Amino acid sequence: MKSEEKFVRGLGQFIDDIKFPNMLYMSVVRSDYARARLLKVKGGINAKVFNHPLAAVGEGAMSGFERAQHMVFASEFVNYLGEPIAAVYADDPYKSEDLISSVEVDYDPLKPVIDPEKALDAEPIHSGFKSNIISEKWLGKDFKNDSPIVLEDSFRNNRIVTNPIEPRGVIANYDGKRLTLWIGTQSVFSIREGICAAMDLPPENVHIIQADTGGAFGSKGGLYPEYVMASYIAMKEKRPVKWIETRREHLMASHPGRGAMAKMKLYADRTGKVTGLRGEILVDSGAYAGGTGEFSSRFIAHQLTGQYHIEQAYIRALSVFTNKVPQGPYRGAGRPEAAFFTERMMDMLADELKMDPFELRLLNATEQPFVSPTGLKIGASKPFMIKARKELGYVPYEATKDTGVAMFVLVPAAQPGESARVRSEDGRIKVWLGGNVHGQGHEDFVKKIINEELGVKEELVELELGDTDAMEAGIGSWGSRSAMMGGSAVTVAARKVRDQVSKKFGSYSVSKLLSGSFDVYEFFSYKDSYNSFGSNLAKVSVDSYGRIKVLEDRSYYDLGRILNRQMVRGQIVGGNLQGIGQTLSENIEFDDEGQLLTSSISEAGLLTSEITTKYTVKFDETPSDLPSGAKGLGEAPTIGTPSAIARAVEVYTGKRIRDTPIKLS
Amino acid sequence: MAKKDVNITINGKEYSSKVEPRLLLVHFIRDVAGLTGTHVGCDTSNCGACTVVLDGKAVKSCTVLAVQADNKRITTVEGLARNGKLHPVQEAFVDKHGLQCGYCTSGMLMTSFWLLQKNHNPTEKEIREALSGNLCRCTGYENIVKAVKEAAKEISAEQNKDLVREEPIEA
Repeated sequence: MKSEEKFVRGLGQFIDDIKFPNMLYMSVVRSDYARARLLKVKGGINAKVFNHPLAAVGEGAMSGFERAQHMVFASEFVNYLGEPIAAVYADDPYKSEDLISSVEVDYDPLKPVIDPEKALDAEPIHSGFKSNIISEKWLGKDFKNDSPIVLEDSFRNNRIVTNPIEPRGVIANYDGKRLTLWIGTQSVFSIREGICAAMDLPPENVHIIQADTGGAFGSKGGLYPEYVMASYIAMKEKRPVKWIETRREHLMASHPGRGAMAKMKLYADRTGKVTGLRGEILVDSGAYAGGTGEFSSRFIAHQLTGQYHIEQAYIRALSVFTNKVPQGPYRGAGRPEAAFFTERMMDMLADELKMDPFELRLLNATEQPFVSPTGLKIGASKPFMIKARKELGYVPYEATKDTGVAMFVLVPAAQPGESARVRSEDGRIKVWLGGNVHGQGHEDFVKKIINEELGVKEELVELELGDTDAMEAGIGSWGSRSAMMGGSAVTVAARKVRDQVSKKFGSYSVSKLLSGSFDVYEFFSYKDSYNSFGSNLAKVSVDSYGRIKVLEDRSYYDLGRILNRQMVRGQIVGGNLQGIGQTLSENIEFDDEGQLLTSSISEAGLLTSEITTKYTVKFDETPSDLPSGAKGLGEAPTIGTPSAIARAVEVYTGKRIRDTPIKLS
Repeated sequence: MAKKDVNITINGKEYSSKVEPRLLLVHFIRDVAGLTGTHVGCDTSNCGACTVVLDGKAVKSCTVLAVQADNKRITTVEGLARNGKLHPVQEAFVDKHGLQCGYCTSGMLMTSFWLLQKNHNPTEKEIREALSGNLCRCTGYENIVKAVKEAAKEISAEQNKDLVREEPIEA
């Protein structure tokens, strides 16, 4: 049964749908304070019995920083609201929740550091550090510039919670020899690496099986303390242990994305040619290493020259500790922030010179491949922009009334490639991917590729969920990489299967393939970047109360070969709405004491079906030279949409837009 | 806590059990009846993943106690297909790609099913209003709305009217 049919029948097997006899249900006792000294913890499983750090695994996760490691259970101090202190369990989930109140915790509250800018000068939250700065990197080279136009501004993209509709969850079981985890995840191999490190187990003794995964958007790629707690309790009790996150826990203690600020300084001559860029990126990393905070500021800085030929750039990338949950990836993960900061400056320059914003961008496009001072590698952007102007239906007159455009570079997480396995058995083809599906339609591109490469009918092809026992290695499903890297791995594996069949029978045919059993595991290795271009155009209206309506969001992206048109459009429109959400409403707010002011998924600003934006989706389909022919896709709509809307609101209202979510009142 | 006897008919089949008064209907459906197609997505009745049709009304089953549903009739996502054949609203979600990760889908289907019971030919605005209590993080809602429109076309064909009766023809 195709996965879509399975889901409409209600027959999905998400993690909370899996039940084992004799199962225990775990609940987590969490910190009530953003920062406090722990005076007493009595009851439950806590740091006194299990005192291990979390390993940093998954996309862009920070390792090192020994004095700021996230422990599975807090001991002397707590450093964010919702930080785990103890775990309790019972044979019924209601009873387990009741037990939370049986654990006694005494705190001595301390003044937390909440604002990332204030964190720069505040007393360090961790002992052994000189300041709250965990990372400071300079990208590019210092320069002298006497251009006549120098523009400065600062921006902020607030933190956003990933909020997949399925919360996080895990079941751990130990049979005396092997620890098995069933889990909703983007990467079974990251989870295995993390569990092995946290539990001191060799990889062969840990088995990770992916359950149907109900969305992730970055939040299910890495390791979390609860997965380790469930593993510990399963080993201790020799019974299966289930933990399912509540939405409030998700808002408090799942890694949120964004949370970045920028101070930008743009140098240009009077024709509008940008001659130099200075910037300072500040990322709110949250309380511990293990998230993406350290990587994130550098990654944003790397992309700040965008689609433009800017000869001089010098960017300071800073990440700071605050008393908040560690930052993690959220769809785009540094890419939307970079585009926002750069494109806001380009619009500012257009206004300064009273130039058409599109003309200004074209003037600064590159006609040749270009490596910017921050190391960003791009192809010729001018031909793309010329096509984009036509495909987006750009009208200069409208750009002064209600319309904004944005250009961006999509930097997919191409490295180090991805794995796939293709097996022919009992007249069917089974495929596994190293990066695990959670809603992006991997099944469709796998079926198409197998059909093209091997001639097997799509209904005879199945994509299996992630399983560490089925493959030697795998990376993960994130960073717009699945069709380009996973698709390429499947393509190469399928070609090798074809060779095996030919070798055995002297020639290839589908019936020969399906009559025998063949099995190929392939790691498609890739060590370079594979960046592509995208653009968005947004049209808005704003009423007298300052309520913004996004009337249109048009997308034009360079996607390479399109493996499934309906799926691609679905991905883009879904991402467009997430981009609109970031720009208009999504936010996670704390007060000065670090208490959460956002108490539900609705307050977190998720948009509903009542948003009636018209979406136009177009793409350049020139194939990449990768085996799958695909380029990056998944994050594109969340990168271009916020910048385009910000400009549209700016021209509509005449008010400079610097932050997301936009607050006009 | 003293347990209470409850008897709930789900998709035409009776389920009887002694339950704690605090047991939520969604947990009765999932854990007592073993029908896990109805999902839990939030703790605040915002997301709608747990939507079922109870005595002719779409309700969020995380906001109803099992004891409140005593002697009532419920349709869940598992009760939509007839004789193994997908209901038009299910067909349309597959056909129009009205789902990606599949987690909000059961709730979306049940709200759509309830809307089409009351209104065989809803406007786009009516569809969007009806679904506004069901959150989807993947699709941007565009294809969900298209799917409901397509299902409405099927259902408004006279011979298919019985498909939106609440009780399935066969459990």
